[in-house]
Amino acid sequence: MVTHSAEAAQVVLGLDATWFAGTLFVLTYLLIMLERINRAIIALLAAGLMILGGVLTQEAAIRGIDFNTIGLLTGMMIIIAITKESGIFQYLAIWSAKKVKADPWGVLVMLVMVTAVLSALLDNVTTVLLIAPVTLLITEQLRVSAYPYLFAEIFASNIGGTATLIGDPPNIMIGSAVGLSFNDFLFNLGPVVALILPVTLIPIYLIWGRGLKTTNENRQRVMDIPEAEAITDKRLLWQSLLVLALVVTGFVLAHQIDKQPATIAMSGAALLLLLHNLPHNITEQAHKVHKTYGEVEWITIFFFIGLFIVVYGVESTGLLEALAHQVLDLTGGDPTVTAISIIWVSAIASAIVDNIPFVATMIPLIESMGPALGGTDQLIPLWWSLALGSCLGGNGSLIGASANLIVAGFAERAGQPIRFLPFMLMAFPLMLLSIVVASLYVYLRYL
Amino acid sequence: MDPEPPVLRPTDLIRTAADVIMSGRYRRLPVVGADGRYEGMFGVNCLLGMVLPRAIMMEEGENLAHIPRDTLSDLHRRFQQFEDQPITVCNMEEAVIVHPDTPLIQTLFTLYKCRANLPVVDPDSGRLEGLISYWDVGAAILAAEV
Repeated sequence: MVTHSAEAAQVVLGLDATWFAGTLFVLTYLLIMLERINRAIIALLAAGLMILGGVLTQEAAIRGIDFNTIGLLTGMMIIIAITKESGIFQYLAIWSAKKVKADPWGVLVMLVMVTAVLSALLDNVTTVLLIAPVTLLITEQLRVSAYPYLFAEIFASNIGGTATLIGDPPNIMIGSAVGLSFNDFLFNLGPVVALILPVTLIPIYLIWGRGLKTTNENRQRVMDIPEAEAITDKRLLWQSLLVLALVVTGFVLAHQIDKQPATIAMSGAALLLLLHNLPHNITEQAHKVHKTYGEVEWITIFFFIGLFIVVYGVESTGLLEALAHQVLDLTGGDPTVTAISIIWVSAIASAIVDNIPFVATMIPLIESMGPALGGTDQLIPLWWSLALGSCLGGNGSLIGASANLIVAGFAERAGQPIRFLPFMLMAFPLMLLSIVVASLYVYLRYL
Repeated sequence: MDPEPPVLRPTDLIRTAADVIMSGRYRRLPVVGADGRYEGMFGVNCLLGMVLPRAIMMEEGENLAHIPRDTLSDLHRRFQQFEDQPITVCNMEEAVIVHPDTPLIQTLFTLYKCRANLPVVDPDSGRLEGLISYWDVGAAILAAEV
């Protein structure tokens, strides 16, 4: 078992490092799953124990933090926190609904597409936070149930987020760890996402679509909604679109300009902060910057920081490498079996548990498989499998992804609750369908 | 303090609560269980929240508030969807409360900050002892000897 002896101090009470780290890791996971304590608290506590317990030194713990992921997440959160004040996302939703003349099924399809595209560029939670209220607005005017729309948007947010480096935290983590670029994700996962989205809509149409009817009068109410009024700050709109365009261009050209995604995202955030605050006096700037930073999900950020340290601690004991060998024993070292197994295990795990700690654990585990499978290049299908499984698996249950719970909360307050079991009875098979498509894609393209 | 304020029961219907609030022009009223225990406040804000479009009541929805073109008839129709439900369907305000032995100045400061009548709740039994309003306070101050 290879251990990073340079990372360890001296484990307390002379305990075995592997035993200590492994137990702490399992306990961390269990506590996160139980959701009785905020996950950021658990992760930071566990990280502290990794250091205090002697598995890692402080320097080693800091090395274990993927600051590229942290920077990318933070930068995008800042950009979106400012951009959403312009009303552009709500404008897009209303505009798209009017494009199909407010036909109920057409509106569902358009909102799904808007949600999917936005989720590819923003985090899923922010996307649904912005789209769900507009959805309720439109469905109320149409006098149709919001349930099918919200259900479809849950799926769209997780599917859309699978397509790009920045669409979902697992992709950010995988991309950062392995050096996969924005273009890599787009070219490799974009096609299968573009396929899965319409495939998912077919059962939704069969179950709900045919029953979505309304009167011409109600459709006219939606057509009368002035979408331009959704834009509340035109100046900010153009500033945000400029920065978003620069950031996305930066991601696309990251390899050529030799800059990491975190640098691009944080630079974009800094530029937008400057543009947004420059017209104001220093006192007002302080207030606005404070408000913007208040919108960064620090709980998520510190959860990541703690988690990175915990996983690094476990990795440093060689436990994950040993687990990787066990997995390869089970799959016979066959890349095809291993890849397909990863996609299915990731999907089912992600439907049940938080996919972030799962992916954080799988990354070093898969890395350890490199030598046995013939080198790091042979791991490419496994990375795509992990990305597809962990992102799409979030559709399997209400607890599969944070965005799902957000939408369920909206639905509850709108008087059309999305209950756990009814959702899962429909969503889990749909999720499995998407995994079948994804598995076929991985097999045909890479194996 | 009014020791016998009008109160609502958790089982009261929205329609009933609306009638009481509108006829007495109350901003909010305490909700008291059958055993006299204080359970929260229900007010005109809850009623207003019910008739407004759901979309704008959600997080990130307030930016849409200027868009809906609902008429008063639409709002009334929305009220009719809720009026036969108990008042507990509305999140009752978690009002700041005071106790019978809360010092005078602290009570007045609390009244100043919360800008609404204050329920007085017995800390041991949880029973509603009364309601303090601005008018009670004003009258008491002006009646005090100098």
